[in-house]
Amino acid sequence: MNLSEVTERISRKLEAKGAQPDRQKIESRLRRLAEEFGVNIDEAERTVTADLAREHNVTGVGSSSTELRPISEIVPGEWVTIEGKIVALTPPVSPSIAQTGIIADSSGAMRFVAWARGNPPAMEYGHWYRLESAVVDEYRGAPNLKIHSGTTISRMERDAPLLPSITPIAELKPGIGSVRAKVIQDWDVTHDRMLQTGLLGDETGTIKFVIWKEEGKDRLELDTVYNIFYATVDEYNGRLSLALNTAMYIADEGDIEVGRAETEIQGALVHIAPGSGLIKRCPVEGCNRTLSRQNYCPVHEIQPEFRYDLRIKAVLDDGIRARNVLMQREVVEALTGITLDEAVQIAETNPLGMDEIFYRIRNTVLGRYYTCSGSEFGGRLLVNSCTPIAFEPEELAALLNRAGGEPA
Amino acid sequence: MKPQSAFEREPARRVFASELRETRYQFRDGDDEKSPTYVILPTGIRSNRIFIVGTLTEKQRQGDQNVFYRGRVVDPTGTFFIMAGSYQPEAMQQLARIEPPAFVAVVGKPNLYTTPDGNCLVSVRVESIAVVDRETRDLWVLDTARETLDRLDAFGTTDDSRKAQEEYGTQPDVYRKIVYDALTQVQL
Repeated sequence: MNLSEVTERISRKLEAKGAQPDRQKIESRLRRLAEEFGVNIDEAERTVTADLAREHNVTGVGSSSTELRPISEIVPGEWVTIEGKIVALTPPVSPSIAQTGIIADSSGAMRFVAWARGNPPAMEYGHWYRLESAVVDEYRGAPNLKIHSGTTISRMERDAPLLPSITPIAELKPGIGSVRAKVIQDWDVTHDRMLQTGLLGDETGTIKFVIWKEEGKDRLELDTVYNIFYATVDEYNGRLSLALNTAMYIADEGDIEVGRAETEIQGALVHIAPGSGLIKRCPVEGCNRTLSRQNYCPVHEIQPEFRYDLRIKAVLDDGIRARNVLMQREVVEALTGITLDEAVQIAETNPLGMDEIFYRIRNTVLGRYYTCSGSEFGGRLLVNSCTPIAFEPEELAALLNRAGGEPA
Repeated sequence: MKPQSAFEREPARRVFASELRETRYQFRDGDDEKSPTYVILPTGIRSNRIFIVGTLTEKQRQGDQNVFYRGRVVDPTGTFFIMAGSYQPEAMQQLARIEPPAFVAVVGKPNLYTTPDGNCLVSVRVESIAVVDRETRDLWVLDTARETLDRLDAFGTTDDSRKAQEEYGTQPDVYRKIVYDALTQVQL
């Protein structure tokens, strides 16, 4: 891009606002910034435009806000102009909000909020609009477009078909996302307002979904593949979930081999936490909490008819990161060679009782190297399999080479 | 206080005895009474917890009212001095039960002492200790060799390693030689 082109653009912008700038002055300022100070052209253009706008007392010529931007490239903190289609309208949660919904272009989609105070014209579902000078901020970790009193909304006579781009589940980020996924689990709803909740999966992973009760919303069928366009991706405690109330979903043909997002970590077990070994669980259906030594459940009080279980809560450490791992009964039995029945028998005949199992397990696994694989849940790895690491002579040879000597 | 989810347990660094023996520099990260204390290892990383595997060759009970145990754990490069007192009752009882010689895995905190005649000693305050086998010892030598080499490869590029350079004048080649010699003692 050469300087006269930029000069031309800046002067036309200012002339459109009724100012009469001196082209030579513009070009010399641009040249000074670009050549003397090594400022890049875009930044020089912005600076000169802003300076001259101030000198000529005109407003609304900031270059970044009038330049049309694809939605997917917008980041919080920017003033932007976009053109998009209203693909969802949601009921406003507060009287100070006139409209909320989702606006999309071919690059992506974003939530928007139109504040009532600016008295914005109502936008209609399914139509295209040009929004000038909207502000992007962040709401619950996702970018959010604010339409305020300074935003110009104009309806466009355009109906380009819009095909949302599908995101693999593993790559979803808070905001708006479209997925092609299979319903793999249908859970009991936990709330009166909830229509359905469960688990969706594609080749790359799984994600929880929720549909809130609302007129015209249908349930998803188990084991069916859906194209889900413009769902809201929420983040809570570091975990993502998909709310389908903003989305359009249609059943699709075909099947998906759902990928289990397994994490594999290696290291030494450096800590066996209290609460490992033989434990007692509350027998009340759906409770399953661990009981204290006195058979006390924090919710259901004294439960003499408890059931026994085996588990290990530990820290697997590779020297760089220490991670919490949780092993359930099957894994513990395979790892330690003690079955639940044997453990109960030992505990009932040994003077140390359940502590004896804790010590035996600790002495078997503490300080040893393992590979654990499983799924991460709430900052902890739920271990599906745990195998001891074996000594590999090739590893020794490779390290000897790396340490710089000739192989011994 | 930080929320629970933000808490990250400090990893246990892998370090050979001859490197730990050279450690002299200790600092506190933050001004709080409860801020963690770290040492800077000569190969350039902060550590407030280490993991070692070696042979327990000797243990001694000491003190009358405040009983504590001292022990020596030997790796291919030298000796670690470990101790467990009444503030670590579990660790002390575990150590009390182990009869040397035995392969042991130790997780603990490095501690620096200056003796009255001005010598600096490094000991390891045991958090937990368990008897392991020879294979675990060999795996540890490989693990420690790998992590020491990783630290040497990054030497000079991290803040901790620049600090180590300043405090110890570390010569990476010396530590590569130590790693090499340690590896040659692992039997195929």
